[in-house]
Amino acid sequence: MSANPTPEILEINVIGQVCPACLLVVLKELNQRRPEINSGRLRLVISTDHRNATITVPESARKMGYQVDVIKVNKYYQIVVGQPK
Amino acid sequence: MNKATREQAGGLPEQDRLAALEAANQRHIAYIRDKTNHLLKIMGTSPLGYDELDDQTLIDLDPIGIIADSFTQILDFLNKNVNELQQAKDEMQAIFDATGVGISIIDRDFKVQRCNEKQRQLLVDSRRREIVGHNCFEIYCARESPGMGCPAMETFATGKPALVRDVEKKGKFFNVVTTPFARDEDGTVTRVIEVALDISDKKRAELAEQQQRQFYLQEKNKLATVIESLSEGLLVIDPDGLVTTCNRAAGEITGHSESDITGVPLTRLFPAISDLLAAGEEPAGAEFSYQAPDGKELLFSADSNRMLDPQGNFVGRVITFRDITAEKKKAQLFFRAEKLAAIGHLSAGVAHELNTPLASILGYARLLLKDDNLTLAQQERLEIIAEQTQRSSEIIKGLLSFARNSSHSDRVREECEVNSIIERAVLLLNTDLEKREIDLELALQPLPPVIADPGELEQVIINLMLNGMQAIGHRGRIEVQTEHREPWVVLTVADNGPGVPEEIRTRIFDPFYSTKPVGEGTGLGLSICAGIIDDLGGSIEVNTPLRGGGATMVVALPRG
Repeated sequence: MSANPTPEILEINVIGQVCPACLLVVLKELNQRRPEINSGRLRLVISTDHRNATITVPESARKMGYQVDVIKVNKYYQIVVGQPK
Repeated sequence: MNKATREQAGGLPEQDRLAALEAANQRHIAYIRDKTNHLLKIMGTSPLGYDELDDQTLIDLDPIGIIADSFTQILDFLNKNVNELQQAKDEMQAIFDATGVGISIIDRDFKVQRCNEKQRQLLVDSRRREIVGHNCFEIYCARESPGMGCPAMETFATGKPALVRDVEKKGKFFNVVTTPFARDEDGTVTRVIEVALDISDKKRAELAEQQQRQFYLQEKNKLATVIESLSEGLLVIDPDGLVTTCNRAAGEITGHSESDITGVPLTRLFPAISDLLAAGEEPAGAEFSYQAPDGKELLFSADSNRMLDPQGNFVGRVITFRDITAEKKKAQLFFRAEKLAAIGHLSAGVAHELNTPLASILGYARLLLKDDNLTLAQQERLEIIAEQTQRSSEIIKGLLSFARNSSHSDRVREECEVNSIIERAVLLLNTDLEKREIDLELALQPLPPVIADPGELEQVIINLMLNGMQAIGHRGRIEVQTEHREPWVVLTVADNGPGVPEEIRTRIFDPFYSTKPVGEGTGLGLSICAGIIDDLGGSIEVNTPLRGGGATMVVALPRG
C-alpha cells in the first residue's frame, strides 16, 4: 500500500465537547471513511480541548491499526489519524 | 361482554396504553444507554451523560453501531497482527530448526522448554523421544542433578553468559554457551538459551595439527641428535653467508664455542671455502689450512651442499668439515715409509753389485801405488782413484746400512737405557767435538728403559749429533737433553747452527736429501734415523727456536 503524497484532510472540530461524545464522533468518521484512510487518501485532523479525548481517541484509533499523532496547538489539541503503518 | 370485561380483554384505556409504551421506551433506552456505557467502558472512556446526548440523539447517533463497527476494525487489525505473528513464529521455528547449532531454552528448574532438531541430534540419545519438560542435566549430561561445569547453572547464578569448552558427547566435541533469555521483575534470570556448537571438525583438525607438530618435533629432535652426534663439523649458512647453526663437533674442531661460531660470516671463519663459493665452485673434499685459536695450524677438508626450499629457491648451504691434520701426517709418514722401503731395496741391490768392483778398483789402485816406477803425476792420480773409491765405499756402506734398516733384518729388540747409549756415543764423538771446538752440554734425567735395538739407537744419537756438528761447522754449542714425559722418553739434540728453513722441514727426513755441498753428505743420515724411530713407534721432528737460531731435533720414543 503506497502512501498518498497529498492526502485529503478531514477536519473534525469537537472543541467544547467532552468524552465519550468526542470519541463516538471520531469513531463514526473512522468507520465511515475507513477505505480512504486505509488507502492513505484521507487523513482526519480532530481538534479538541478535552484532555481526556487526547487519550481515548488515540488509544482506540491505534487499536484499529491507524497511525496517530497528538499535537498541542495553542489552547487545544490536534489529533491526526492517518494510514496504518 | 360488559365494559369491564372488554377493558380487560381489549387492553388498557388509551392513556394507560401510551404510558405503558412510554415506560417500555424508557426501559429500552435505558438498556441502550447501559449497553452503550458498557461498550464505552470497554473502549476505555467514561459513560454517556444524559446532558450530553438526549434520548433521540442517542438513537440517531447509534453508538452501539458505531462501537460495533469500531470493534470490527479492531478485530480486523488484531487478526492481521495474529497472522503476521503466526508467520513470524513459523519463520522463527524454521530458523530455529535449520540453524547449524543446537539450541534449547531451559527454565530455572533446569527443565527443557524448547529444543531444536540440531540440539536433539547433537546431544540427545536417539532412543529418547520426549525432551521438552524433562531435566536438561538428565537428557544432555546423563546426570541426576546439575553438576560442576554446567553453564546453565552458572548463568542462573551470575546472570551472565557462560561458556564451557570441549564438551565431549556422542563421539563429538562441543562448545556450550548459555545466555540469559528471560528475567523476572527482580532481574533474576528465569530462562536461559543454551547453544551447543559442534567443534568436532575443528577439534579433529587441531588434533591432526598437533600430531603433525609432534611428528615434526620428533623428526627435528632426531635430526638434531644425528647432527650433534656427527664426528664431522656441520655449519648451516644462510643466503647472506652467515653461520646460522652449527653442531657440537664444529665447535670442537674449530676450537671455538658454538655460540661464537653462530652469526659469524663464512668469509671470516673459512675464507678459503668462501673464496671457492664466490668463484662459483661447490667445494667437495676441498682441503684448506685453518689457524686454531691457540695458533696451531690445522688442515681441514670440507664439502658444501646447496639447500633448496620445496619451491626450489636457494635458502643457504650446509658445510661439513673435518680435521685431517693427523690423517695427512699419517699418510705422509706412510708414504715416506713406503718410499724408504723401495729405496732400501734398490740400494741393497746397487750396493751389493757395486761393492765387489769397487773393492777390486781400490785393491788394484793400492797395488799400483806400491810400484816404484810410477811418475809423480801417475802416483797422484792413483791416490785420487783410491781416495774416491774409498769414498764410494763409504757411500755404499751408508746405502747398506739404510737398506738394512728398511729390511729390518738382523734387528734385535731389548730394553735399552737411552742415557747410557748417549754417554757411549759422546765418547766416540769427543775427538771430533774438540777438533771443531764445539761445547757439549748434557742434561740427562732419569728415564725408564725403551724397547729398541741398542745399536740402532746409538746410530740415531750419533747421526743427530753429527748433523748438529756439521751444521755448526766450527765453534758452537750442542745441548743434549733427555726427559720422561709419560708415556714418552724424549730426547732433544739442539745446536746453535743456522737452523732449518721452514720450507725444507718436511723434506729433511727424505733419503738422499741433503743441504750439504755435493760430495759432503749422502742425505741418508736423518732418513735412517727417522726410519729407526718410526719402527719403534716414536716420532721425530725438527724445531727452530723463535730466538737464538739453531735447530732442535726432538725424538719421542715410547717407554718400554
